Amino acid sequence: MTKRPTGPASSNRKVLARHTATLALATALTTTAALSAYAQDITFWTQPQGDLLAYQDLYDELTSEFRDESGINVSVEVINWSVAFNTWLTVAQGGAAPDCADMYWLHSFSGIGGGRYGPMPITEYRDRWPTLEADFYEGALEDVHRNGEFYGIPWRVDIRPMMYRTDFLAEAGIDAPPDNWEEIVEQGLALTERDANGNVTRWGFALGANNNPGQTLMPYYWQAGGLMMSEDGRTATIDNEAMRTTLKFMQDLVQVHKVTSPEIFEKSADPLADFTSGRVAIIGSTNNSWPSQFDRDYPELEGTWALEINPAGPTGERDSFSGAGYWGVLYGSSDVEACLDWIEFLSQPEHMERISEVSGAASPRRSVMTSELWTQRPWQEVMAETLNYGHTSQHPSAVWNAIASPEPGAVLYDLVYNTVIGGADIDAAVTEAQARMQAELDRASGS
Amino acid sequence: MTRQKYLFCYLMVAPAMLITAALGIYPMLFSLWMSFVEYDLLRVNEFGTPFVGLDNYVEVFSDPRFVQTLFNTIIFTILAVAATLGFGLLLSQVLNINYRGRTALRMLVCVPWFVPPAVASAIWMWLLNTDRSPINFLLQDFGLITSNVRWLTDSATWGPFSIPMMSIVAVRVWNGLPFAVIFLLAALQSIPRSLYEAAEVDGASLLQKFWYVTLPMLRPVLAILITLLVIGGLGSFEINYIMTGGGPQNLTNIMAVYSYQQAFSFFRFDLASASSGVIFLMTGFISIFYLRSQLKGVA
Repeated sequence: MTKRPTGPASSNRKVLARHTATLALATALTTTAALSAYAQDITFWTQPQGDLLAYQDLYDELTSEFRDESGINVSVEVINWSVAFNTWLTVAQGGAAPDCADMYWLHSFSGIGGGRYGPMPITEYRDRWPTLEADFYEGALEDVHRNGEFYGIPWRVDIRPMMYRTDFLAEAGIDAPPDNWEEIVEQGLALTERDANGNVTRWGFALGANNNPGQTLMPYYWQAGGLMMSEDGRTATIDNEAMRTTLKFMQDLVQVHKVTSPEIFEKSADPLADFTSGRVAIIGSTNNSWPSQFDRDYPELEGTWALEINPAGPTGERDSFSGAGYWGVLYGSSDVEACLDWIEFLSQPEHMERISEVSGAASPRRSVMTSELWTQRPWQEVMAETLNYGHTSQHPSAVWNAIASPEPGAVLYDLVYNTVIGGADIDAAVTEAQARMQAELDRASGS
Repeated sequence: MTRQKYLFCYLMVAPAMLITAALGIYPMLFSLWMSFVEYDLLRVNEFGTPFVGLDNYVEVFSDPRFVQTLFNTIIFTILAVAATLGFGLLLSQVLNINYRGRTALRMLVCVPWFVPPAVASAIWMWLLNTDRSPINFLLQDFGLITSNVRWLTDSATWGPFSIPMMSIVAVRVWNGLPFAVIFLLAALQSIPRSLYEAAEVDGASLLQKFWYVTLPMLRPVLAILITLLVIGGLGSFEINYIMTGGGPQNLTNIMAVYSYQQAFSFFRFDLASASSGVIFLMTGFISIFYLRSQLKGVA
């Protein structure tokens, strides 16, 4: 049995050990307290693009890298697209919100938020991106500005060039896709096929890639030289010759030339299935996610389709539908600076390129669209070229998304559906739509 | 002791009552309140929610689209309820007879019930797609049609009827039929056999037995079933919204879809609430009518 040491030396060692332990504990507690005091946690919501798991993995990597670099912990929540609209509508009305997020429809959500909730302007921090105009496409930058205020950095752009079936064009002896509206009619007639009973087995031309009449109308109206409203978003400007020309062109495709399906605006319409199954030869304004989807999911279609910049309208314009999603900060953010650091980190060219690669979405950053990533396939080059013709689909009024809603009763829906499908008198329909749109703009501007 | 018993009973139903109050009654009352104020999402921050009386109701009833929608809702409900009851009575009789394979048939009849309306809508959208409909292919193969039937998109009308409306009603009936069949089958099984035997002794035919024995005995159950089907029909949403969105040309639009569009597409929660208020009034009227008849029966 070992005898325990006693005496002054032993006592001193005990005291020393006790003091050391106390000091260590105090140091540990102080350090922890200090770390917690300086630890920054922010929440960030985003909607998935491309493959969901790959998208989540990418954000895991990016947040990890950002934490190592800045010490800021970003908690990312991926919001399913099916609930995204209602989520942001709730946020804009004062519901639970993240510190910063990947958002869209700036004008509507900002208007509903009324400067208390929803997207928060970050104009005073704009200097963090000193070469914004040079680095990003103009159309995308329009989507992050409202009433002269700057709201964030665009990260994806929904650009819609023309898509066509190369095999059908070759069969019909057509060398190149339509370059203008006249050629759309000519080629549409050549490409439309019917069976012995007169049932259409292939439509020559589809105006758009979804059943939203408002979105379908926009690029053609711009190509005819029209604009939806004044720059301040207070005056409707659709009662003009450009609108009449556009609606006549669309109406003739359906009613006179019969090269476009009269069912394009119905909920049961399925343009993707129509194009992949060969029931449509040309889509004038395609869905920007289709090309990468075709590469991934429809390898059997390789070599049978291609993209081209949109055909020119009667005024020679080739405007393409464009809409950007952006990273921004929200009212009530617990740490605006940390959010800005995170957005600045994300907006670095190499990170935007990684995001574009994983999401498959075109990037509003010029350097990404001219990088090797976006120049490997011919369709990618067309997509990048089309960005130069991008015309924002968002307009400077909070009520815009109600005006352009894909539901019956919306101003543009009724205008386009009633004339193009219903064959209503264009003059009367345009006059009525102008009055209704003006009433809506007055409603939003508080008049 | 009695007091303690009551207290215990109240305690037991309290959670259910609280949940009903929080998730059912409160939103309903809030929605009713919204129908009497201006609640425009684009103006609420600036102008608040001023009381406007019946203005929202006047506005929705001045909208021809709403009037058409109201009419569509009534037609849709009458057709769906009538067809569900008709087929339900027929099928429940068939399933009530003893024969080999009855159990399998009963299960088959129940299958549509297991399909959520949203999924059923997606399936039927494909089945009724003009260019890809297997039904159209079949009809063409049999030589019954030469051009494709536009099941969901034909805007031709015959009075209040149109092909899209009939298609939507058919899907609603397909999805709701098992509910009616189960209800009626249970009621049929509770009818004493002796009543049919007595009718047979009196020389009653098959139709007479149905008319003088079955139907009177089913009356209480039919009253409940009709009430539930009518309330369900008036508040129906998913099938119409997913399959046609109310189109073509508003031919299949019904009030619940109209309300949704006003709220979430046009940001007009006040008009949406007024439209919902009309549904509430209609279902409320039917419920009161039903409850009164039930109470009379009890008395």
